[in-house]
Amino acid sequence: MTSKSISVLRKIAGPFYVNRRLLGYYWERLQKNKLSIAGLGFILFLAIVGIFGPLFTQDPTKADLEVPNMPPPGFTRQESIYNIKTNDFTNRTIEGGLTHPLGTDSKGRDMLAMLVSGARISLFVGLLATGIAVFLGTFIGVLSAYLGGWVDNALMRFTDIMMTFPFFLLLVLIVFIFGSSLAIIVLVIGLTGWTGAARLIRSEALSLRTRDFITASKALGASDTRIMFNHLIPNVISLVIVMASLSIPGVIMAEAALSFIGLGDPTSTSWGTILNAGQHSLETAWWVAVEPGIMLFLTVLAFNFFGDGLRDAFDPKASI
Amino acid sequence: MNTSGILRIENLKKYYQVTAGLFSKKVGDVRAVDDVSLHIKQGEVLGLVGESGCGKSTLGKTIMRLEEPTSGEIYFDGTDVIKMGKQELRRLRGKIQIVFQDPDSSLDPRMTVGDCIDEALIVHDIKNPDTRNAKVAELLEKVGLEAGFAQRYPHEFSGGQRQRIGIARALAMDPKLVIADEPVSALDVSVQAQVLNLMMDIKEKDGLAYLFISHDLSVVKYISDRVAIMYLGKIVELAGKHEFFNNPLHPYTEALLSAIVSLRPDGKEKIILKGDVPSPLNPPSGCRFHTRCHKVMPVCSQKEPEFREITKDHYTACHLY
Repeated sequence: MTSKSISVLRKIAGPFYVNRRLLGYYWERLQKNKLSIAGLGFILFLAIVGIFGPLFTQDPTKADLEVPNMPPPGFTRQESIYNIKTNDFTNRTIEGGLTHPLGTDSKGRDMLAMLVSGARISLFVGLLATGIAVFLGTFIGVLSAYLGGWVDNALMRFTDIMMTFPFFLLLVLIVFIFGSSLAIIVLVIGLTGWTGAARLIRSEALSLRTRDFITASKALGASDTRIMFNHLIPNVISLVIVMASLSIPGVIMAEAALSFIGLGDPTSTSWGTILNAGQHSLETAWWVAVEPGIMLFLTVLAFNFFGDGLRDAFDPKASI
Repeated sequence: MNTSGILRIENLKKYYQVTAGLFSKKVGDVRAVDDVSLHIKQGEVLGLVGESGCGKSTLGKTIMRLEEPTSGEIYFDGTDVIKMGKQELRRLRGKIQIVFQDPDSSLDPRMTVGDCIDEALIVHDIKNPDTRNAKVAELLEKVGLEAGFAQRYPHEFSGGQRQRIGIARALAMDPKLVIADEPVSALDVSVQAQVLNLMMDIKEKDGLAYLFISHDLSVVKYISDRVAIMYLGKIVELAGKHEFFNNPLHPYTEALLSAIVSLRPDGKEKIILKGDVPSPLNPPSGCRFHTRCHKVMPVCSQKEPEFREITKDHYTACHLY
C-alpha cells in the first residue's frame, strides 16, 4: 500500500485509530447498552464459528442414510416401519445421540455441520454485499451532495429508479441466465442495495457541506476531491458504520429467502437451503427447520441490537 | 480613488437569483452586494460594519471568489482576480485568507489541529513532511498555543483557542490580506480582547492587511484604521477611524454610533431606528435607507444618492451633503 492511501485510510479511521480516548468514549457509551453488547457477543461468536467451525465439524454435504432424521440428544422420534414379510407395521423409537449433537436431516447429514456452514455463508454474504452497498451508497451520496446541481439531480433520480426496481425479479432473471452462485448473489444484492445508504449519506453530507470548515478548506485552495475524501467522508463515517450494521440483517434474510425458494448457490449449504429442506419434513423432523430458523432469528436480532447500540453511542444527542 | 493598495474592488455586485414555480422561472434577485467599490492598503485594517443580512459576509466571500461575483472588478496586488483560472485562483488563496465567526464549525471535528493547519501546506505543494511539521509548530506558537497541541482534536479546546487555531491556519501561507468575518463575535468579552490583541500583533509583525467584518462598533473602533458602513448591500459611509467616530455624516452611521453603550452617558439622545431592514429582494427606491431615516427628505425616495467624497478621504452616499 502506498503511503498516500495509508494517510487517506488514517484520515477516515482517524479518530478511532489515533484518538484512543474517543474510541474509549464510544466503547463506554456502547457498553451501557447491554443488549447491544449481547448482540456484539453473538456476532463475534458466529464469526469465530463460521471461520474455524468447519475445521472441526463433519462434512455438511455427506449423506448417511443409516441415520436419517435423527433427533438431537434428549429427543426421540417414533417411526413406523412396514415389514414386507409380516405385512405389518413395527414401531420403533429413534433416540438422538452425541454423534450428531443437533440431529440429522432426511438424508442423514449432520445438522451442526450444516448450520456452521450456513453461518459462514450468511456472514460472508451479509458483510460483503453490505460492504459493496455501503461503499457505493457513501460514494454516490457524498458526490451528489457535494457537487449539487445537475449531478445531484441525475444521481438522485437514478437512485429513485433503482429504489423502485424490483430487485427480486432482477435476481431471478440473472440466476436464470447465468446460473446461481454466491458471487452473483453478493453482487446483485450489493449493486442494488445502496439506494437507502446513498440518500441518507447525501442528506448528512448536504448539511456538512455548508459548514465553515468546508469553506475554509476551499479558501485554502483544496481541490474538490480533497474536500470529499478528507473532510466529507470522514465526517459521515460513523453514520456509515451504523447503517452498515443495521442493513446486514436485511441482506442475510434476503440470501436466506433466495436459498429457500431455490435460487441460492446449489453448491453451498446456507440456512435458507436447510429451511427449505426442513419444511418438507416438519412433521417427522421439526428440528431441521427450527434450528436454522432460530439461528436466523438470533443473528438478525443480534445485528439489530448492535446497530441500535452503535447509533446511540455515536449520537452525541442521545442520552444513554 | 486610490489605486495603490493590496486590494481594490470596483462596482462589485453579487446577486442571487430567486426562482419559483415548476419551471424555475426567475422572479427576482437578492442584491446581497450591490455596486460596492473600496480598496485596502498594505498593512491596513478596514473595518466593515453592518447589520446582519446587509451583505458584509457575502462581500468577504466574493472577494476570495468563494462566491462568484455577478459583475464588477477585483484586483489583488495588481492582478485581476475575476479573470483567474483554477490554478491561479488556488495560488491566490494562500495569499488571501479568511477567518470565520464560529470556531465550532470552522475546524473539521475529525481532524487533528495539526492536520487542519497542515492541509494549507499540503494544498500548496510543500512536500517535505519535516518542513511542514516545523511550520505547523511555528504557526501554533505564533498564535500563542503550544506546538504539542497539533496532535489534539478541536473539541478538546475552548472557543478562544479554536479561534486561534483558525487564525494559525489562515496564516499558514503568509497571506497579505486576511478577511476576518466577525472573528470575535462568538467569544466572551475577555477572550475577545486577547484574540484582537493577537490579531493586532500579527498584523504589526507581518505587515498584513485585514478586512475586518463586524457588527460591533467598539471592536471596530479598537482595531481599524478606516471604517466602512454597509447597508442593504451598499457602502453608505467610508472614512478614517477618527473622522468616522468624531464626525459621522450619514444618518445611519449617526444612529449606529448613538447606540453604542457607554458607561458615561454624554447626554446625547439615542436615535432609535424604526422598523426592520427592508428585504434586499425588493430594496426601497432612491436611497435605500430612506424608509428608516430620521432626516428623510422628499428627494430621498426618488433619487439614489451618489457615493462621493465630502471631505478628504471621507465618503458618503447621502442627499444631505
